[in-house]
Amino acid sequence: MSLFQALLIGIFAYLGRNQVPWLFGTTGGFYCVGRPLVAGFIVGLILGDVTTGILCGVAIQAMYIGQIVPGGAMPSDVNYASYIGIPLAMAAGGGAEAAIALAIPLGALGTAMHNFTMTLNSIWVHRGDKCAAKGDVKGIMISNLCGTIPHLIERVTIVAIACYFGAPAAEAILNALPEIVLRFLQVGGKMLPALGFALLLKQIVAEKWMIILFIFGWIIMQSTGMTTTALTLVSVAIALMFVMAKYGNSSATNKEEMQGDDGYDE
Amino acid sequence: MTNKRLDRKDVKRAAWTWMFFHHCAQNYERMQGLAFCHTMSKALEKLYGDDEEELKSALTRHMQFFNTEPQLGSIIPGITLALEEGRANHEVDTNLILSTKNALMGPFAGIGDSLVMGTYSPILLSIAIGLSQDGSPVGAIFFIIAWLGTVVPMKYFLFMKGYDLGIDAVKIMMNDRVKNMITTALTIVGLVVIGGVASTTVAAPIKFVFTAGEMSVSIQDILNKIMPTLVPMLLTLGCWWLADKRKWSGNKLILGILGLAAVLVILGIM
Repeated sequence: MSLFQALLIGIFAYLGRNQVPWLFGTTGGFYCVGRPLVAGFIVGLILGDVTTGILCGVAIQAMYIGQIVPGGAMPSDVNYASYIGIPLAMAAGGGAEAAIALAIPLGALGTAMHNFTMTLNSIWVHRGDKCAAKGDVKGIMISNLCGTIPHLIERVTIVAIACYFGAPAAEAILNALPEIVLRFLQVGGKMLPALGFALLLKQIVAEKWMIILFIFGWIIMQSTGMTTTALTLVSVAIALMFVMAKYGNSSATNKEEMQGDDGYDE
Repeated sequence: MTNKRLDRKDVKRAAWTWMFFHHCAQNYERMQGLAFCHTMSKALEKLYGDDEEELKSALTRHMQFFNTEPQLGSIIPGITLALEEGRANHEVDTNLILSTKNALMGPFAGIGDSLVMGTYSPILLSIAIGLSQDGSPVGAIFFIIAWLGTVVPMKYFLFMKGYDLGIDAVKIMMNDRVKNMITTALTIVGLVVIGGVASTTVAAPIKFVFTAGEMSVSIQDILNKIMPTLVPMLLTLGCWWLADKRKWSGNKLILGILGLAAVLVILGIM
């Protein structure tokens, strides 16, 4: 990996960060460029191997698909996991399993850095307080914009250095691993996406019976081999039928239903 | 007394400021507080520009702690802008502005996190994973276009709607019937699609072959006759049960799965 490539990856890691204005705030940043799948695509383009990049991205994405960041409390930093994990796995000549193996510790390291910069950023708030007390509108704008600087420095330098100097080390380690450990990484890498989907289910399944919808999707996909797009259209049809049946009636019918429910409860 | 009004340009400017800079200086002390003040600042300057003390107190009151889900929550700075305009014309008092902000940020963070981040984004990502399973970039490109193409306009629209409707926006956004319809539809689509994608992503290949004399039976072959991906499905449902019922954290689950994988590999089952 050349220094230029490492720097470019560092810049995209910064663009996929939480505290970044450039791409519609977090909409295009953390929640788009920062997603492991998109990161895999970008890293693949930079390193000249889109297919491997995407495969690594898919693996990490599946593992972290159920993660949300409520109140800025990040359980595991997907940004480090993908922008350091994918390039190193690719440079070492490994595939998705290597990327997942790297992603887990890197995610934990990233969380520590996230907490550090989120705490450090308070200095801009105090600068903003002073500007507000003086009625300095421009000063408030500058304080807010400055908030992105610590993240720019942190992401670009750490990611670029880790990619540039880490690549030979990662390659050496991967080559030295005994057969059984490689087999373990393969099996573990294939099983870990279960975690991502399980955490997602925990968020979405409000009532127990809904889990049958998940099993339904699983079985339909396995027994018919239809594409994801086709399955999406099928599920949209089911959702529309359900919503129309439940909410599509006139308001008069709704009232009757509600009264009926009340009567039942009593 | 002069009538102080914001024109369309001022509102659009505030909307774009929020669109881009809402998380710029996010920090644990006030979260999006500074960004909120930045969003309001130009409009406040126009409304209170001729009264230094009013401007200072207006800027200071928007520096306080603020935290919501910035996509769906962009309606809150929109509503606040309308309220500040009312206040400049002595129609609204300061307490209403502060209590509206504080009352709305929690619910919108909750709805936004569960609906946009917890359901809509994973649905798109699941479809994208399905499209990219063979290493093709189509899925990633699909996600970028579908996500930005829907969420960016929604964010802008909600800000402008919040300003137009002012406090009435709350009633419309909190309409239970519409909210339930959207949530139900997204939940159904989400669960079915996620089930399909999980079935092609999670794997647990068993290589163990049971040998007795000349007869050998591959366990995976037997399982395939029941259902080809039964083991990964049970694994996923098991993890869900542990996360939901036993309150296992993500990190604990990672260690659990890796431990299970290690044991199975050492025993030669996988």
